[in-house]
Order: sequence, then structure tokens, then C-alpha cells
Amino acid sequence: MKQTISFDKLAISILLILLALVLVIIVWGESAGVRVVADVPEERGASPYQRIKITFSESVSTEMAFDLITMNPVHEAYLEWTNERTVYFVPVKPFELNKNYTLTVSAGVINASGGEIKNPRSWNFFVREPLVAYMFTDANQSGVWAIDLNGGEPKRLTSEEIKVLSFDAAQNGDFVVFTTLNENGGVDLWKVNRDGSDESLLLDCGLDRCTVPSISPDAKYIAYSREVAGPTPDIPYGSPRVWLLNLENSLNSPVYADPQVLGYNPSWSPDSQKLISFDGLADLINLFDLSTNQQFVFPSNTGGPVVWSPDSTKLMFTNIRQTEEGFRTQVRLADLTLNDTITLIGQNDEQDYGYYSLAWSSLEERAVMGFRLSEEQPAQVLWMFNPARLDGILIANEPEYTYNSPQWDAWGSTLVFQQFRLKGVHAPEIGYWQDGFDAPKFLTNGILPQWLP
Amino acid sequence: MVPANFFSWLWDKLNVFATVFLGIFVEAVPYLLLGTLASGLVEVFTDRDQITRWVSKRPVASSITGAMMGMIFPVCECGVVPLTRRLFKKGLPLSAGISFLLAAPVLNPIVLFSTASAFGWADMLFWRFFLSLIIAVTVGLVFSVEKDSNNVLKTVFDSHEHEHSYQDKSMTEKIRQAFLITVDEFFDMGRYLVLGTTLAAGLQTFVSQSTLLAIGSGPILSVLIMLLLAVLLSICSTVDSFVALGFVGTFSFGSILSFLVFGPMVDIKSVMMYTQVFKRRAVFYIVAIPFMMSLLAGLLFNYLGK
Repeated sequence: MKQTISFDKLAISILLILLALVLVIIVWGESAGVRVVADVPEERGASPYQRIKITFSESVSTEMAFDLITMNPVHEAYLEWTNERTVYFVPVKPFELNKNYTLTVSAGVINASGGEIKNPRSWNFFVREPLVAYMFTDANQSGVWAIDLNGGEPKRLTSEEIKVLSFDAAQNGDFVVFTTLNENGGVDLWKVNRDGSDESLLLDCGLDRCTVPSISPDAKYIAYSREVAGPTPDIPYGSPRVWLLNLENSLNSPVYADPQVLGYNPSWSPDSQKLISFDGLADLINLFDLSTNQQFVFPSNTGGPVVWSPDSTKLMFTNIRQTEEGFRTQVRLADLTLNDTITLIGQNDEQDYGYYSLAWSSLEERAVMGFRLSEEQPAQVLWMFNPARLDGILIANEPEYTYNSPQWDAWGSTLVFQQFRLKGVHAPEIGYWQDGFDAPKFLTNGILPQWLP
Repeated sequence: MVPANFFSWLWDKLNVFATVFLGIFVEAVPYLLLGTLASGLVEVFTDRDQITRWVSKRPVASSITGAMMGMIFPVCECGVVPLTRRLFKKGLPLSAGISFLLAAPVLNPIVLFSTASAFGWADMLFWRFFLSLIIAVTVGLVFSVEKDSNNVLKTVFDSHEHEHSYQDKSMTEKIRQAFLITVDEFFDMGRYLVLGTTLAAGLQTFVSQSTLLAIGSGPILSVLIMLLLAVLLSICSTVDSFVALGFVGTFSFGSILSFLVFGPMVDIKSVMMYTQVFKRRAVFYIVAIPFMMSLLAGLLFNYLGK
């Protein structure tokens, strides 16, 4: 009997202690007001397009929160709410290198029920040095590597036992998605962080071939080209179609319900709302608008590249036209706001300059294009130009080299590209050019450079 | 006079009730069957000496062992009650049994993977398992103070069922006996499952979930509402992570965590079954202590801004 009482006493004491603790926590919590946490990479540095997640401890009013969130120095951005407690600070222009930023959430009332942030919070961050990711074949095993522009040692991101077929770097610079053969003969999608950590299978494609991944700039989706395996091994793969993998909920489905719409080389507009792919059978560039589910087509028989203006309203691509004098490559410009497409370059060319290798920087007035100086020369040079005025300068035209695959950095000030020495047997190289350079510089050996900001 | 639209309203409600009832019942019955089957097998294939050998008499070790036994017996909250009852009969210490009862619906491989599928191998998974372990061990330790299990277990329990010896019986006979016990226990506990499911379906029919969600903002109310929902929804722990995933964004981490920790320990149908095994005040402690600890954890996470 005595023991029963002590059991009850203990149980009730525990309950009373728990009740007291609950009350203490409520009093303490309520006196501290609404808490706020921001996911800011204070130590390791932010990417130029770092989306900063801000989480409140309770539901807040979007209007009231708007007034309390500030960035110093002032930076053009918008707030993207995912729910009543979570908002992303999304920069419109890239944060600048070598500059310190402070995100502040000030004190004040933050919801209609009187919830108040009593303690203002600030987070400091800087923009990290961008890396260049590229493919390099080491001991017959191609992998993704990364290097900085300051002469640092290249670092292999993917493991040595994985043979990489293609890859894409996220615009936030946090990870790389790559493709590799699986044991069934299909091609899978994999992911690895910018420091080579957490290499993991992203999408098991089984017998199918999932290739040329393209990460949306907001890092929410991966578009890729999928060739479905035939019912038996002797039946060839189906035609490539564009699929979309949602990284937030793992939903994976074809972009176009119509199986007749083929797709290769998917690429994204800077606002992550429009997806481009090339239908080689119909000689069309397909544009799918995710926000409206509308589809647009642009005749093109080259398959790319397609590049976007920084505000996602215009796109440039190439097309080959047959004239009385022979084939002529042209650069076309489609303006989505005017619903109009014009020939920007090559309307009346006397020879075919083989325009290729387009890249449009984050600066509206700065793009680059590769072309041949004459039909007799196989080498491509790189020409930096203003798409509005069509004036520009040659930035890479060493006679013994040909250049392609240019990629602008986040600020539009540095260009990396692939370069091949034409005479003799040489490994493919990666070069770069910056404002103020007279000629491009050698960075490292490798192919398909991409920025990993 | 009854308003004309009353019957139409009642018909709609009855339809909702039937759907919810069947939803909960059909989901729970297989697990109850598995639990009673495990109970039957334990009865026939183990004896008191084995259980006494396996489980330490020391309260802390006994509680921790009990809490981790779900890794061997992966049962959800419906199946764990008959199995625990059987294990008590076989001599399992009170502290180990209580810890097993509360922890097994979460601390088992199936729920580990279902939680990881829904929330990834991240914070939610860790905290769900850690807190479930802490709560189960704490309650187990409280019960370890009680030396006479008859003070907390129903008396009918010991006097009604005798310790049988199945050692001399053939394998076929043992299996037959195990199935007979399974059937007996299934119908015995099944009555309480039906009763609990009826109550849960009734409450869900007449207390609108959307109303609860609408008032569930703020660091305190959100946890209380999620704890209430956990009891009300009576979802099996193997699938509750996917239901909880739907609350992400609307509810805070702390309130969803408290839902995932408390729900598998206490819901309407399991409480109905607890009343078959434990005396009333023991049931009260089994419900109240996890409730307070889940509330405390949810509040802490909410106020710390997780």
C-alpha cells in the first residue's frame, strides 16, 4: 500500500513539475516575442544569387514583415513567401564580391494578433569566391572538377569510380547534378555538393537514359532529356523527351503530355519560369511557361544554344537558312513582350560565319558569340557585343585556337570558355577573360566549363 | 418540427462518419492482427524464464530495453497493446512493458523508414525518435517504482489466464495454439478498437478539422491543436509521417513534432485498449505524462524558433 502511494506521488509530482516547466516556458517564450531565424551562410560565404530563408516562430503578416526586413547596403530584391512563417529574400541582381552585407529584421508588430518581434536580429555575410566547374578525364574516368581563378589546386568533386557523362551546376553554386551510366545500361541523375560531399543518386532511371540535366536558377527543378528504353534490348531507345524533376517533392513527369513533342538540351530562363528545349525532328525550339502552362515554338534547325536576356523577356538562338549563295547561319532574337522574332545578325551575310556559342550576361548590354572570321578558317573567335547596338570587340581570337562554350559569371565581368589548340595533339583547355584583359588566359585542362558561384 | 434540411445534413454526416470509421478501422485492423499474432507466438514459444533472463530487473536498463524492443517487434499502437499484455503475463517487468508500449509504435524499423521517406534523414527524424525514447523511458521509470504490478494492471489479467506450458507439444500443436490465442485476443481487443474507432470517427465528423487548423496558430495553440489532432485522427504510426507532412508550412516544426511523438503513444483507440490492460489511474498517467512532455517539447521548439 505504501508503495502504491509513492508511485502515485511520484507520477503526480512528475506531472506537476512538467506543468510548472510548461508554464515557465510559456512565460519566458511570450515575453521574448516572435522569434526569427535566417539561414545565412555567415562563415562560408554566400553565393551571388543567395536566396536567404527567414523563418518566424509564428504566422506573420506579409505586409508587416515587408517593412521590417532590410538589407544593408540596399540591394534590389523581392520577398517570396512559401507559407505564413517562411519567406525568402531573393536578390534580383547578384550580391557583389568583396562587399559585406547585413540582413536585419527589425523589432515591431508583425501580425494582426499583435505578435511582436521584441529583439531585432542581424546577420552578416559576404560573397564567396566563385569556382569554375568543368569535366576532366583522369585515367580514362571523366569526372567533375572545380577550380578557382586565383590559381588554386583543382579539386575533384565526383568520386573516382563514377564516370560522368554530362553535368550542370546550380546557379546558387551549392551543388552539381551529373549523369552516369547505371548497371542496367541506363543513365541516372546524381548530385554532389560544391565541396564534393554528399554524392548521392538523385533519380534512378532504370533502363532509360536521363541525360543533359539543367537546374532551374531557383534550384527547385531539374529539367532533363529522357530516352525510354525499348520493351526488349534489341529495340532501340525512344526519342528524347524533356522531363521535369521537382526537387522539393520528387515529382517527376514529362513536360509535354503529347508524346510527339520531342525535347533535347533543356535550358531555363533566368526567372526559372520558362523552359526551353529543342525538337530536332520538327526543327523547333519549344518554350514552356511554367507559370501559365503556355507553349511557344520558334523555328530553328541548329538545336541551340538558346540564351536569355537577364530580365527573361528576350531570347537569342541560331538558325541556318538556305539562300541562293548557300547556307547562312543567323542569330535570331525573340521578344516575348512584343511577340515578335527578328533576325538580329546575319540577315545579309555574304558568307557563312557559323555563328554559335552564344552567352548573354547578367548585364543587358553584354553578350558574347562565337563565329568564324572566314569560311576558310575552321577556328571560332569570341566576340563580345551589345545586343541592342550590335557593336562589340573580339576578346578571344588567338589564331592557333578555336573557342566555344562561353559562360558569363554572375556579374557579367568574367567569361570562361573552352579552347582547343588547332595544330598538333593537345588536351582541351579552359580559358577565361576578364574586363581589362587584352587576351584570354589559360585556366586549366578540361571541357565544358560552368560557373559554380 | 425538425427542419427539412436536417435529414440531409444528418445523411451527409453519417456518410462522413462511415467513411472515416472505415478509413481508421481498415488501416488499424491488419496491425491489430499482427500484434495479436505476435502475442500468440510469444505465449506459445517463450516462457517466463526467457523473458526474465532477457530483460534486466534494474529500472533504467529495463526501461531502455523495453523502449528499444520495437526494433525486434515492429508493431504500431494497435498491435502493441495485446503484445504488451502478453509480455506482462510472461513476466516482463512493468517498466520495460510501459516503455515498450509507448516507444514501440515509433522506435521500430518501419516507422524509421516511413518518417525518413516523408521528412528525410534530418532533424524531424532524429527528434521524433529521441523524444519518443526519452518519454517512454521516463514513464517506464515512473512505473518502475510500483513493485506490485497488480496495482496498475487489471486484476482479471492474472487470475483469469494461467501460465500454460507448451514445451511438450508438437510444432503443429504449438502453431495451432498460437493461432487460437491470436483469434481470441483479436476479438477481445478488437471490441475496443471498434469502440475507439467509433469515437474517433464521431469526433472527426462533428469537430471540423479545418476549424481546428484555423485556430491553431501561435506557439501554444499550434502545439495544443496538433496534440488534439493526434488523439482525434488516430492514424497508425506507420503512415502518420505522411499526414504530418501535409501540415508543414501551416504548422511549426515543434507542433508537428509533438503530433508525431504523442500520436503513436496516445489516441482514442489505443486509450480504449489501454483500459483493458491497465487500471484507470495507470491509464491516466500513461496519457498525461507523454502529453505534458510532448507539449513541453513542442513549446520549446516553437519558442526557440526552430
